[in-house]
Amino acid sequence: MTDSLFSRRALLRYGAYGAGAAALAGTAASWDRLTGADIPGRDDGSLVVATLGSAFSPAGVRALVDGFRRLHPDIKVRVNAVQAVDWSDFFAKILTQIAAGTAPDLVYVATEGVQLFARHLGVPLDRWVRRDAAELREYFADVHPSLVESMMYEGSLYQLPIEFNAADMYLNTQVLRRAGAEFPAGDWTRDDFTALLRRMKKASDSHFTPYFWTNRLWGGVVPWLFANGTNLLAESKAPGGSWLWDAFYPADRRRGRGGGFRWTTPQATDDRVVEAYDYLAALVHDGLCTRPEGGNGQNLIGVFSTGRVGVTPAGGFWAGGLHLAGMRADGFDVQYFPRRHTQRHQFGAAGYALLRTSKKQDAAWEFIKYSARRDTLGKLFTTNQTTPALRSMLTADRYRETGPAHWRVFYDTLDRFPDTGPIPAPPQVAEVTQVLLKHTGTALSSPGSVGPALRRMQGDLEKAMERDV
Amino acid sequence: MSQATPTLSRARYALGPWARIAGLTVCALLTLGPVVWTVSTSLRTPAESFDLPPQIIPAHPSAAAYHGVFEQIDVWLLALNSTLVTALIAVGQMITAGLAGYAFARLDFRFKKPLFGLVLATMMVPLQVTIVPVFLVLKSMGLTDTLLGLIVPAFPTAFGTFLMRQYFLGMPKDLGEAAMLDGAGPWRIFRSVYAPLARPGLAIVGVLAFNYHWNEFFRPLILETSGQNYTLPLGLVSLQGNLGTGSISVVLAGVVLSMIPAVAVFVVGQRPLREGITSAGVNR
Amino acid sequence: MTDTRISSVRPRAASPAARAVRPGARERGTRLLAAVFLAPTVVGIVIFTVVPIVGSVVLSLFHWNVIDSPGFAGTANYREVFGDTTVLVSFRNTLVFMVFAVAAQLLIALALALTLNGRMPTWLRSVFRSAFFFPLVLSAASISVVMKYLFNQDFGVVNWLIGLFGIAPVPWLTSEHGAMATVVIVYVWQQFGFSFLLFVGGLNNIPKEIHEAAALDGATGPRKHLAITLPLLSPTLLVASVVGIINALQVFEQPYVLTDGGPGDSTRTVVMVIYEKAFEQLRFGEASAVGVLLFVLIMAVTALQFRLSRRFVHYQ
Repeated sequence: MTDSLFSRRALLRYGAYGAGAAALAGTAASWDRLTGADIPGRDDGSLVVATLGSAFSPAGVRALVDGFRRLHPDIKVRVNAVQAVDWSDFFAKILTQIAAGTAPDLVYVATEGVQLFARHLGVPLDRWVRRDAAELREYFADVHPSLVESMMYEGSLYQLPIEFNAADMYLNTQVLRRAGAEFPAGDWTRDDFTALLRRMKKASDSHFTPYFWTNRLWGGVVPWLFANGTNLLAESKAPGGSWLWDAFYPADRRRGRGGGFRWTTPQATDDRVVEAYDYLAALVHDGLCTRPEGGNGQNLIGVFSTGRVGVTPAGGFWAGGLHLAGMRADGFDVQYFPRRHTQRHQFGAAGYALLRTSKKQDAAWEFIKYSARRDTLGKLFTTNQTTPALRSMLTADRYRETGPAHWRVFYDTLDRFPDTGPIPAPPQVAEVTQVLLKHTGTALSSPGSVGPALRRMQGDLEKAMERDV
Repeated sequence: MSQATPTLSRARYALGPWARIAGLTVCALLTLGPVVWTVSTSLRTPAESFDLPPQIIPAHPSAAAYHGVFEQIDVWLLALNSTLVTALIAVGQMITAGLAGYAFARLDFRFKKPLFGLVLATMMVPLQVTIVPVFLVLKSMGLTDTLLGLIVPAFPTAFGTFLMRQYFLGMPKDLGEAAMLDGAGPWRIFRSVYAPLARPGLAIVGVLAFNYHWNEFFRPLILETSGQNYTLPLGLVSLQGNLGTGSISVVLAGVVLSMIPAVAVFVVGQRPLREGITSAGVNR
Repeated sequence: MTDTRISSVRPRAASPAARAVRPGARERGTRLLAAVFLAPTVVGIVIFTVVPIVGSVVLSLFHWNVIDSPGFAGTANYREVFGDTTVLVSFRNTLVFMVFAVAAQLLIALALALTLNGRMPTWLRSVFRSAFFFPLVLSAASISVVMKYLFNQDFGVVNWLIGLFGIAPVPWLTSEHGAMATVVIVYVWQQFGFSFLLFVGGLNNIPKEIHEAAALDGATGPRKHLAITLPLLSPTLLVASVVGIINALQVFEQPYVLTDGGPGDSTRTVVMVIYEKAFEQLRFGEASAVGVLLFVLIMAVTALQFRLSRRFVHYQ
């Protein structure tokens, strides 16, 4: 008894020693992993490019890097695909690196951050664009001026847009059939839209909501404001920019273009803003749409693809998403946003911003140019989870497998409505967005809240815009 | 274990045993329901994911979502990184918390109370407040964008120290005193008398450290730059796709995959864990 | 387990003669050992927590947007923060959340632990225990993503489930009270297992004799039963509530994923405000000021708890 107990103890002890030794050996063996010494090209003066990881597939990123190396064997490049949940996570990481003086050279920035980066961190690309004008002619000819203008700030260009998404209307064709409704015409009005929702509701059971949307800056309330011919913040254009328009765009396409947008005075209590909120509140009240949830719209794909929702605002990125969710190419289709006072649409775009702190600005510019090439984007955007900024990339071939049938709507949103513009994103965008989302949530969370909520929104917006970020 | 310990006097409740078991079963179902839904949805096609009533047993089970996870992210590298980080943190915390907990519980020295207060106070500071200074400290040590940069700052653990202190306090003082009378020095008393009794307590520190750091998102997000240094929770994010366009089944399959090691540790560590927690709750 | 049980250890009689041996050397040895044992924890905490905390306290006195160099602000950040309704509301929300979350967590855990203590097969007890503990092993962020599906007003499983009982769909995530309730539910769902295990342990450590003695005095029935059990459980209750409150006051993931603080500000918590001010609005000074205030609040609440515990906690 005592013996066996002793030997069990001894066994346990040797077992523990063994485990300890194994742990030490394991740690030693993985030392390079722990210190990152096994990562090729680290701290070797590479050009560092930070992208939002979820935007590109790993294969796409590999292709991006390999292609650049072939083109410029002399420039070392490293892509950090930041796996952030959303824009603010991504931003948190970049900011921390900036604070520590280890900022990347290039950062992938969407419309939300264009002016913030331009104002505090970015370098205007003007001199390189002028220098390499001949090389860029093909690019600009293929990119709608609205997208380019959205990347300008106070007369200078800060990014070359490579993707965009405009808020169009997605319709579930099965729900349309069930309601016995026709696919709407391109010039449909908001009243047509409401009538369609009523019809859909009548033809469906209780587990169905005709219109579903997410409370966010892109594709939330703002498209309805645009259709009403208004905006959250008074909108004007900065002077300048003719250096670019004159060099790359024919007279008819450069008319009215300026040096980028200025979003200034808040106008949340403007009659047309109030009217748009009243309209949405009425939809909620009549059970034609849900109260909007916050967040990045993860629910949306699932409920739309299974026919629990008939209509929702989304852009080209949804074609790929619905395909992944198992929807057939003819299960959905896309149409312009309905018209009211105007049929102006809103979009968000993205491209690479070059940071002032970069010591490799010329090399970085080469990467920007490379990233905007048609063949580069062809490798990057294979799954239709965004809309390429190059018009020529939108082909029947691209949308054959995923749908929708009316894929032309994506780019025509720019071509047919030249006043289509970016979401309002001044340098104070973070606070503006928060104020917008929070008071939109309150305005629609109970009846009769629109007026008070918009008055508070106006007050908060005024405070936010007074700040010099 | 329950048999070995004296439990509360039984059958004193107005409730009969069956009512009690039924009540507990309902609670257990409510607790496990979301997990079951996650697993079963990961085995369905996205089109069926919103079916009501939810199908617990998928009508057309499919592992496609799991293939999708392996296609879209380098699961093995991410898992290796996560394992290295969590295992080393767990071991490190067991050592630091075991030693410090013992010192606070059983050794006399100056500034004991303020030092313990300091340790406890660190539990009260949200990570979001200190992350930028922490990043700067790590940078001065050359540890940014390394796995060590995640591991080393996590070695000291206020909660673990607190737990181990309670644990050692729960052991009878007489044991040490007896050893002292036999001529044992402070080290011998720790090594031969108390340390062997502390194993269940250390197990709970280890398992809790594993649970917490295996699921950790914010620190890796800020501190790790290279894709090769990402941990599993960071990798899983990309499954959500651009603007939330990823397939829900694939997202959930990723969640389920990342759950497996935590569940394994839970199963293996459950007994010591329970016993550890059991003793930590007693403050004598 | 049996070999580590406290009760199995027999105290030996101490001999007064042996106690007199070289007290000075022993004390020095003890102090040295304490220094060595504490070194890893204290050095680590100083480098990775105290220094950063001091850093952020200093930062709270500066205007800093990360990009440009900081400028001294004096108390401007604190004044700004006290005049910011979002900040004030977030403190109210956090306290409301804490009260409901901690109360629910403790009550549920206590009720389940007491119920589990009744007569039932050992394997069943073990199954229940595992089930209640399980959510703790999951990641709060992932599980919140899942919960967002389940709590959707129109398509979620929760409303379907309560619909079976004839209850109309609840706007869980899109109404002010619903959103707070959902955040509390999701948080408690994941966290109650920890308090539960503490209570199971605490109950197991209550000596059988006490109940036998109480029974002899004629104390029967659930109420009397509780009257005896609760005081004996009070040390455990203190640990559970201290840890529960410290954690609840720092809640972030659940509201961030489930509601993003909305609708309105109804679920915006203090740590969310800190994150938003710092990383979204580039006001690191203000974010640090809010952080300092939260730190002070948590310290105050914890100190209060320990103070109250002197009156209500009974040590055996």
